[in-house]
Amino acid sequence: MSSLFHSTLIPCPSPNWREVGVRAEWRTIMLRIQNVTKTYPNGTQALKNVSFDVKDGEFLVVIGLSGSGKSTLLRCINRLIDPTEGKIFWDNTDITIASPAELRNIRRKIGMVFQQFNLVKRSSVMTNVLSGRLGYVNPWLSLVGIWPEEEKKKALQSLERVGIADKAYNRADALSGGQQQRVGIARALMQDPKLILADEPVASLDPVLSHSILQYLEQLNKEGITVICSLHFLDLVHRYATRVVALKDGVKVFEGSAQEIDRAKFKEIYGEEAQEVRAASL
Amino acid sequence: MQRSRIIRNVFLIALIVAALGISYNVTGVDFPRLFRDLPKGGPILREFLSPDVFTREMETRTIEIDFPIPCGSAPAESEVPASGPRLVPSVNCADERQKFTLEGFDLEPNSEVIIRWNLPDDRTMTAIRTQTDANGYFTSEVEARPIAATKDGKPSQLEVDTNTPVGGMKPSQALKDVVDAMFVTIFMALLSTTIATFVAAPLSFFAASNITRKGVAGTTIYYVFRSFFNLMRSYDPLLMASVFGFWLSFGAFPGFLALTVVTIASLGKLFSEAIEGIDSGPIEALQATGSNQLQTVVYGVVPQIVPDFISFIIYHWDINVRISTIIGFVGGGGIGFYLSEQINGFHYDRAGTAIWAIVIVVWAMDFLSAEVRKRLT
Repeated sequence: MSSLFHSTLIPCPSPNWREVGVRAEWRTIMLRIQNVTKTYPNGTQALKNVSFDVKDGEFLVVIGLSGSGKSTLLRCINRLIDPTEGKIFWDNTDITIASPAELRNIRRKIGMVFQQFNLVKRSSVMTNVLSGRLGYVNPWLSLVGIWPEEEKKKALQSLERVGIADKAYNRADALSGGQQQRVGIARALMQDPKLILADEPVASLDPVLSHSILQYLEQLNKEGITVICSLHFLDLVHRYATRVVALKDGVKVFEGSAQEIDRAKFKEIYGEEAQEVRAASL
Repeated sequence: MQRSRIIRNVFLIALIVAALGISYNVTGVDFPRLFRDLPKGGPILREFLSPDVFTREMETRTIEIDFPIPCGSAPAESEVPASGPRLVPSVNCADERQKFTLEGFDLEPNSEVIIRWNLPDDRTMTAIRTQTDANGYFTSEVEARPIAATKDGKPSQLEVDTNTPVGGMKPSQALKDVVDAMFVTIFMALLSTTIATFVAAPLSFFAASNITRKGVAGTTIYYVFRSFFNLMRSYDPLLMASVFGFWLSFGAFPGFLALTVVTIASLGKLFSEAIEGIDSGPIEALQATGSNQLQTVVYGVVPQIVPDFISFIIYHWDINVRISTIIGFVGGGGIGFYLSEQINGFHYDRAGTAIWAIVIVVWAMDFLSAEVRKRLT
């Protein structure tokens, strides 16, 4: 299995690869999705034989209509959903056959940001952010709510990075949608992630807030965190994606740069009746 | 098609009418009796409505005279004093069942008068209650009861108590007893609710499908706990109290046990449904961070269920106060037991006190629990 990677294991010279100008092909493959198929118990085939690689430092955007399998794909990567067939390699280990303990160790390094933010609404912002660290700390102390000082400091730093340190002791549901999503990002940051999965991170937000959230993700990406993000609006895709994977009815129908998506490709991905809508025009 | 449906409907209606007819017969419905028997219920109702709540300090004075029945069986009272508090019967002896008039002079004015026979064997038998007028005078017709006949040359005595209110009102003994019993009931309900909460809260997670129902083992556990709660819930608290009562003999403890068992089942079911109703998003998010099962429950589930749990607990305390009143009736202690004792002893005024206390406490608990639940969001 490890031989798979030998040809591509060229270390990334610097996290700031854009500035250094390292060509994309040289970078390390951090995630390999191999023939992944997901069939739900009710018979729905959400993913059909999907394969692609994700390289270190990419901002990979997954596009497709609602129900095309984007969410399922992202959840297969950290196994919130178990794929029916196929393999997913992460650092030379197959995630799909990882034991529960291994899986928790893998998940620690993969942050996730959700469309509905998925914060515990009645808990404080601080607790929500700290909970991103649950995979690292002493489980017994965490169960009684005892957190080391340095973790609290780290949580405040994470909140500072997304600009809402002043809201740390508010209840999560007292925050606006945009602020809640930033808490979601801060929670993912607590994991010291190598990869962030962002499932429609701006779809529940006012379109004018989309850029503010995506810019945080872009910033993290520039600091070396790989991002896999599903998005709806094509202009956002053009603006942020270093590469695009398109799904239609669970099948990968496109893989390439955003610029390659022309009118014909667009119709192929979204269907004949689709009209392009721009977030900026809303 | 059309016709068969009509036949079916007619048949159904006939069935329902027949069932109602049978129900009417077995119940022995007789609405006119409600009015016919009103004289019987009236006085009891009046006593219920005039509960024994306050008493006034009373000063009691007693005068007695020998009264031989029949005449000559013992020496009669020789002479009646001419002044001062005194009892004057129209005859100084009487035959059995003879009626005579008893007058009292210069007694305490405006006082309660209790006329009784002091029997030769030292038992007393209350005959008549009446009232003195402003001059301290009363008159009353008394019958020479055969039971008051002279025995071994010792005559019965006619004894008259005058009770004069002095000083202010104070809580009656019945009120004190009711308050004590009410405390027993409220704290019995509180203790059983608390213990039931500690048992039901952890168990309810096993009966919540979104937490437990995964894989064969999880599904089995889920069904075992769910069935357990459903089964226990189907036993009426009253039945359960009787079972424990026969086992441990009657008293507050078996009543408390019965209440606890029923509350565990009921809260377990309510809790597990609250857990099933939570937002799964945060759970997903916590799992994605690499936290283990227990951490996910503590950080993702618990904060979401706390308001529901507290509201159910208070609500159940409220319910348990009511149930424990009824359990008291079958010997479970507390206010219910007091109430049943008073009703069996025909002390309807004390029963009235207990009933009023129950009404007030239940209303207050209801109000309180509604207020607390309103504030939990």
